[in-house]
Amino acid sequence: MSMVTVEHLHKVFGRFTAVKDATFSIEKGEIVGFLGPNGAGKTTTMKMLTGYLPPTTGTASIAGYDIIDKPLEARRHLGYMPENVPLYEDLRVTEYLEYRARLKGICGKSVRQQVGWVVDRCGLEPKRRNLIRTLSKGYRQRVGLADALLGNPDLLILDEPTNGLDPNQIRQIRELVRSLAEDHTVILSTHILSEVEMICNKVIIIDQGQIKANDTPQNLTRNLRAAGRVSIEFKGDLDVVVKELEAFEPVKKVIVEAPLPGGWHHVIVRAEPGTDTREKAADIIASHHFPMRHIYRHIPSLEDVFVEMTRKD
Amino acid sequence: MAEKEKIAISRTQSWYYTLRTIFWREFRSYLCTPFGWVILACAIGLQGFWLQAVLQTMSKATGESVMFYMLDNVNFWFFFIFIFPLITMRTMAEEESHGTLEVFLTAPVTTTQIILGKYIAALLFYIILWTPMLLYPWVSDLGNLYTALRYDITPEGRINYTPADWFGPISILTISGSFFIALGIFCSSLTRSQIIAGIVCTCSIIIYYFMGRVPELWGEFPAAPAFHYLSISEQISAFSRGLIDTRPLVLYVSLAVFTLALTKRVVDYRRWHR
Repeated sequence: MSMVTVEHLHKVFGRFTAVKDATFSIEKGEIVGFLGPNGAGKTTTMKMLTGYLPPTTGTASIAGYDIIDKPLEARRHLGYMPENVPLYEDLRVTEYLEYRARLKGICGKSVRQQVGWVVDRCGLEPKRRNLIRTLSKGYRQRVGLADALLGNPDLLILDEPTNGLDPNQIRQIRELVRSLAEDHTVILSTHILSEVEMICNKVIIIDQGQIKANDTPQNLTRNLRAAGRVSIEFKGDLDVVVKELEAFEPVKKVIVEAPLPGGWHHVIVRAEPGTDTREKAADIIASHHFPMRHIYRHIPSLEDVFVEMTRKD
Repeated sequence: MAEKEKIAISRTQSWYYTLRTIFWREFRSYLCTPFGWVILACAIGLQGFWLQAVLQTMSKATGESVMFYMLDNVNFWFFFIFIFPLITMRTMAEEESHGTLEVFLTAPVTTTQIILGKYIAALLFYIILWTPMLLYPWVSDLGNLYTALRYDITPEGRINYTPADWFGPISILTISGSFFIALGIFCSSLTRSQIIAGIVCTCSIIIYYFMGRVPELWGEFPAAPAFHYLSISEQISAFSRGLIDTRPLVLYVSLAVFTLALTKRVVDYRRWHR
């Protein structure tokens, strides 16, 4: 059974359609990176999944419980960390977490035990007696994450968990999420693509409310336009080399970039995805005895996928 | 992670457990912040001031009880009207402006539980504001003793009271308060600004107060009994004479239930139609 099933989810705010016909499912144990430009509908989709915003049409279910018909059951399987982490400023860290644990239906000795566990897990030990008002952004973020972890829910929804943190803190949060992956399903949204490449085993790209891609990072990068791109720098007769390169079968287009100082030419060869034109290009340049100082085949990253899927042109 | 799975988490799905949790958090937020204590200090100070002023009047005129003099005048209303917005304006507006309502409603909690928890906490805090009143009989006895010792037995100077003189006012303040607190929470749920919530609440209570004064302005016209029924000032003067009436009880309890139901609708509506 899927942990999350989303069917034809649609959300309209007045005249603005935030999410259009989103359909996807997430299996147990997957870490899903939710990507998209600002205002693409990531947060809206997440809020709908948590049951806070009702969808205009369509349904979603968490652990088999429909978010509209059985909202309480669905929420019992869910830990949610919203963007900007709203917290009660007048409570101390442990007070707040104990309160949240009780709200989630944890009772008796388990309250203390659970709070102790999440405090430990999120590195909040030095600040456990501090008022939330006095915490820095990084610690507030951890309190939000600790809150989401209370009661060990099956599904964690984290909306930009590393937003506004410094590189060390980002690394710590990333390690934490990675360690959670062992027995949780995680959906996280972020703008940091390298982060997604490192920890996620599935990527959903959403743009202007529509799901543009839903696959593993490997599959997404494999069939990319940018995949077969080779960049070459050489000296010599530019026209001859371009003509001979264009005659070669998998090459689709040769783009001549601005000349570099010292008489070096810079060309970019676009070819079919999955082909390697480096050997042939080197042969062509070598046959004319032109000097060559650089040849490089572009390794497609998630960033290329993201740009290609969400580019406006 | 492995060691955690060995320890089972004890959970409950009890409706009252969640309600109690919300209630305690809200009630503690009145008592653990300076805010609650400022209201409490103001209320007690003003009550003391009036009691003193009323006792001075009493030394000249006699016949009615102390409570009647205290509650049946405009000064009392000036203060009474502002208690409710002060207590309730934060309740929902703050949750919304800080965004904590989102975290609240993504836990397994219903809107009804949130509103009831907040309502009970605010009502209890409001009742605590009036507890110094329970000391008035004792203060009166002390005053009588002092008069007796100082001036021998002079019946004119004595403060006469019966238990009903105290029980009546306390019950009408609690009963009407149960509605005004609900009204305050309703106003707070309408907006994300505490100031606007407070102003709307104050205005609503003033309008309600003047509804009861309509027969004084327009005379006894056919619909006048309805306005008499709603008149909080008439109810307070009746109760502070020691006349216990069940009609206001029915009125205010049903108004409170209605207002709370309306609040639930508003909170859901605002969330669903954003």
